Amino acid sequence: MTGSGYSYEHMFAFSPPRPRLSDDLVATLRPVTLAKSRIVPLSEPWASLAPGGGLRRGSTVVVHAQPGLGGLSVALSLLSEASAKGHWAAVVGVDDPGVVAMSDLGVDLRRVLFVPRPRGAWAEAAADLLDGVDLLIVRPPSRPSHAAVRKLMDRVRERGTVLIALTEPSAPWPLPADLSFHLTSSRWVMSSRLDARYVTLQVGGRGEAARRGEHVVMVPDARGRAVAR
Amino acid sequence: MERLLAIWVEPLCEERPDGSTLRDYLRVLDVVGVLCPFVEPVRLGLCTLPLRGPSRFFGGDEAVFAAVRHNVRDVLGLEVSLGVAEGLFCAELAARQELVLASGQTTAFRRAQPLVALGHKELATTGRRLGIYTVGDFADLDAARVAERFSAAVRVLHRVARGELPELPGQRDTRLAARLRSARGEDAVRDEQAGFFGQRTAGDDRAHAAAHRVRHRLGPEGVLVARLRGGRVPEDRATLTPWGSPSRDQRDDAPWPGRLAGPSPMTSLHHPVAVELCDADDEPVRMGARGSLSAPPASVVLVRGSRRAVVWFAGPWPLVERWWASGRRRAHVQVLLDSGEAMLLSAEAGRWWLVGIYD
Repeated sequence: MTGSGYSYEHMFAFSPPRPRLSDDLVATLRPVTLAKSRIVPLSEPWASLAPGGGLRRGSTVVVHAQPGLGGLSVALSLLSEASAKGHWAAVVGVDDPGVVAMSDLGVDLRRVLFVPRPRGAWAEAAADLLDGVDLLIVRPPSRPSHAAVRKLMDRVRERGTVLIALTEPSAPWPLPADLSFHLTSSRWVMSSRLDARYVTLQVGGRGEAARRGEHVVMVPDARGRAVAR
Repeated sequence: MERLLAIWVEPLCEERPDGSTLRDYLRVLDVVGVLCPFVEPVRLGLCTLPLRGPSRFFGGDEAVFAAVRHNVRDVLGLEVSLGVAEGLFCAELAARQELVLASGQTTAFRRAQPLVALGHKELATTGRRLGIYTVGDFADLDAARVAERFSAAVRVLHRVARGELPELPGQRDTRLAARLRSARGEDAVRDEQAGFFGQRTAGDDRAHAAAHRVRHRLGPEGVLVARLRGGRVPEDRATLTPWGSPSRDQRDDAPWPGRLAGPSPMTSLHHPVAVELCDADDEPVRMGARGSLSAPPASVVLVRGSRRAVVWFAGPWPLVERWWASGRRRAHVQVLLDSGEAMLLSAEAGRWWLVGIYD
């Protein structure tokens, strides 16, 4: 599929004339209807930062941040639109997920599986889940090995899952990602309580990442959601 | 061996024919489970929990006893007998005698029990003939002699008497877990039929198959699902339960008076971690009786022993708990550290606890 090097985005960047086609040929065109579903949907503000407005199946997204500065919010926020639309997601290696905050982000908790403490078996647990979910968040408990990561990314590509790796400076993702969000700074807005947080992120990635460069997103806002500044 | 709190509810030991005993016992597990998630059903009328964690959390053994008594009395109108000892055998005996044994006292307690406490009539009769009246007398017999004279079952009891085994064979009802599951399952099945998963799709089936694989790999607690229920603070509203365990959907979106406003922490600690909150003079910050702080927080010491500067704080927001929570008093404070990390702390039982991180 993606492994063949064929890009559906290029295929449909223009409107091809529509000749009459034989049934045999029509059968071979099934990817047309699949083309759309090859993207797992994102809500704003993320949709306008990702190529194609969504997360390409089989791709790996890295969210990289100092712990405690908003990386977890960004990663979990990427689940919201898809889970609301009926996609399943799994979260591996996040010890104590803030379930209320996830719900506020718009994540439909009925379709999220949590594997909080995979111990040494995070990569195996992730592989177990790949066939069952459309989005998979992993936070490796320690520095992930090159080999384990390559194997996992290969399987993700093969299965058409979206892998979201949440990493920190002490344990970076050892391979290039298709899309990356590096949190460079975060700033809280306070009144008589914590109200909202501005997160500055550097968007990058291989290929045609839609909007490379620095962007500021508010996550959470006063109601716990992610919004464009 | 760990000190166990045994909770013995005598009226629930005899099963009534109408099924109400099992239901009431489940409710006992629920109201005790609110205090300590590690409550373990033993058999009808008896459950245990490890005392150390809750005791630390509630500020002492007595506070735990009071909370358990209060919860069960309030919800079921039943009086409980409590006992503390090491090992299930002695913990149950302690509960029936309403005794709290300090660590190290269990052996003497066990040895003083009458031989009949081992629950074997023939052994008690034979023992009397041999001049063996207590568990301690029996324990002093040479294991080889016991093996010569008695059956395999009595040899096991001998090991219990010597403290080599924590519990009697048959002390636990092995079918209880299945019965509790099916009693709860009736509720869970109703939820699913009510469309909890909506129309079950192929995607749902795939996800369930995947969850199965992970559970197989990591054990029953390996895969969890989340539910929301009513409550005022995030750590109360969220529940994570093992995937596949029957659960009642307690979703409650009604506004709770006094709910903590603003965004919730993205990391919510299910087992709060004790921290120290200090003022500018390095004195511990205390919650005053009138819901104010003794001084503005200037630093927080996390468990790892690292001191972090607090650059801003908000609160406290005091919280007087629901009736069944035995007047738990808590207050929450938000702190922002110089690193940019924001945290939610809770004051309870004279201590500060880290309950959330706004990651």
